[in-house]
Amino acid sequence: MPEHLLASLLIALIGGIVDLDSTATWQFMISQPIVAAPLTGLFLGNLYGEAAAGLKLGLMVGVILQLVWIEQLPLGMNVPPDAALASVLSVALGFISGHSYESYSEREVCYTVALLLAVALGLLGRSLDMFVRRLNTNLDTWVCQKVEDNSLWAIAVGHTLGGFFTFTKAFIFCFLVVWLGVEPLKYFTQTLSFKHGSGFIVVQGLLPAVGFAVLASMVLKDREETRYFIGAVIMFTLLPAKIFLAFIAAGIVMYRAHKGAKK
Amino acid sequence: MRTLPRTLLARIAFRSFFLQASWNYRGMMSMGFLYAIRPGIDQLHSPGPAREAAYLRHLEYFNTNPYFSSIVMGVTLALEERLSRGEIGEEVIHDTKEGLMTACAAIGDGLFWDSWRPFVATVALVFALGNYLLTPLIFLALYNLPHLYFRFAGIFWGYREGTHVIRSLRQFQFPQIRQTLRLGTMVLLAYLIPNHVNVHTPFLLTNLPLEYFYFGEKVVQGFGALLLVTLGTFAYRARVDVLLISFLLMIFALVLYHWGILI
Repeated sequence: MPEHLLASLLIALIGGIVDLDSTATWQFMISQPIVAAPLTGLFLGNLYGEAAAGLKLGLMVGVILQLVWIEQLPLGMNVPPDAALASVLSVALGFISGHSYESYSEREVCYTVALLLAVALGLLGRSLDMFVRRLNTNLDTWVCQKVEDNSLWAIAVGHTLGGFFTFTKAFIFCFLVVWLGVEPLKYFTQTLSFKHGSGFIVVQGLLPAVGFAVLASMVLKDREETRYFIGAVIMFTLLPAKIFLAFIAAGIVMYRAHKGAKK
Repeated sequence: MRTLPRTLLARIAFRSFFLQASWNYRGMMSMGFLYAIRPGIDQLHSPGPAREAAYLRHLEYFNTNPYFSSIVMGVTLALEERLSRGEIGEEVIHDTKEGLMTACAAIGDGLFWDSWRPFVATVALVFALGNYLLTPLIFLALYNLPHLYFRFAGIFWGYREGTHVIRSLRQFQFPQIRQTLRLGTMVLLAYLIPNHVNVHTPFLLTNLPLEYFYFGEKVVQGFGALLLVTLGTFAYRARVDVLLISFLLMIFALVLYHWGILI
């Protein structure tokens, strides 16, 4: 089987499973970008004999998409952008199209363009999700009629069909995007001047700021907290960048908050 | 006296993993709810009109937090059991389920979507940006501890305590937990901003003595990142779309790179 076809099928399968987790079943959160993207990178990297490179790309993509869509919640009727499919497709498109380039900067351009493209695909994924939910609405009406007619088998069949629609939607979508999308992406990145490739690396380095801004909007409630927050940012600017310092500080603040709440 | 065995309740909790497989705009999770509790209904009502009526009763609109759904399932089964003994009427089940699903949605969504997921995601981001390849596993392990706890313990509480289950839930003091998690997220975010937004400029290399270069670079990166995040936060709070913010940041970075201000 040609390698590209095999990769497309693998991504379609991962996309289908991961998309099932996002709302339809389990909800273990393997559909979160921070998990879905590295998972895709690991499997794809194994296929191409570059597991570590795939995993690192997955982590980079996972971090950015996790941050950008951290506030998107599946509450009630709200259907958020399909972060799971965006993560899988971003890694797949970036890795496969970047695989054919030798230099670091050329690959990075592919990764960044694929990331930006995947954000748009995440929005398209949301439309597909809404389409599946409309299909499920017809299914629900059908099941109600069947139960009224005493055909009780319809409950399990209807419910399973709902999950099947979700999986099939993601499977076909991922397969088509990877199967048809890699070559145009390669062509597009070739038309970009690679001498400015480092500019895309600068973009990649700054993109987390957008996600941090979203997260800051979520967690900062008033001016006093904002002042403390800015103080903490300055403190961590001056301290060495050690992870344990972050967790110690978080632990102290959480302990004090918990104790204060008890009082 | 309770008649449903523990193994059956555990089986129903397991089936609740598939609650949203057929999520739709009419009954939302109704088909999934009925699918999950069906073994319990079959045990409580003998075949015939009573069982059929129970099926139709639970095909009515249902929507709650998926992790807290098993609590509602437990309470519903306790009430179905009382109905089968003729102690209550159907309307009690309808009203209780409606009230409980709303309460569980409010508590569960607030806890999991608004507090726990952002907190765990931020912990994972700290690890991911520190290049820890096991980050996805850390995320999954941490996130799913309370998920699985509420999923499996919930059905037993609900079934044992019936409508008094809300009193047990109050003991958790969810508002305080949410506040503590929010503050923890804030501290970790304060660590991430100066350390993982890459703002590098060539001016320091040419203008600073080498012994001050590292410190100067760290200060510029920290304050540059804080400035970017502040601007992003203002834009996001002014309801500018996150994708537009990302796009503007990309243009801004490419222009500054072109002028040689950022490297």
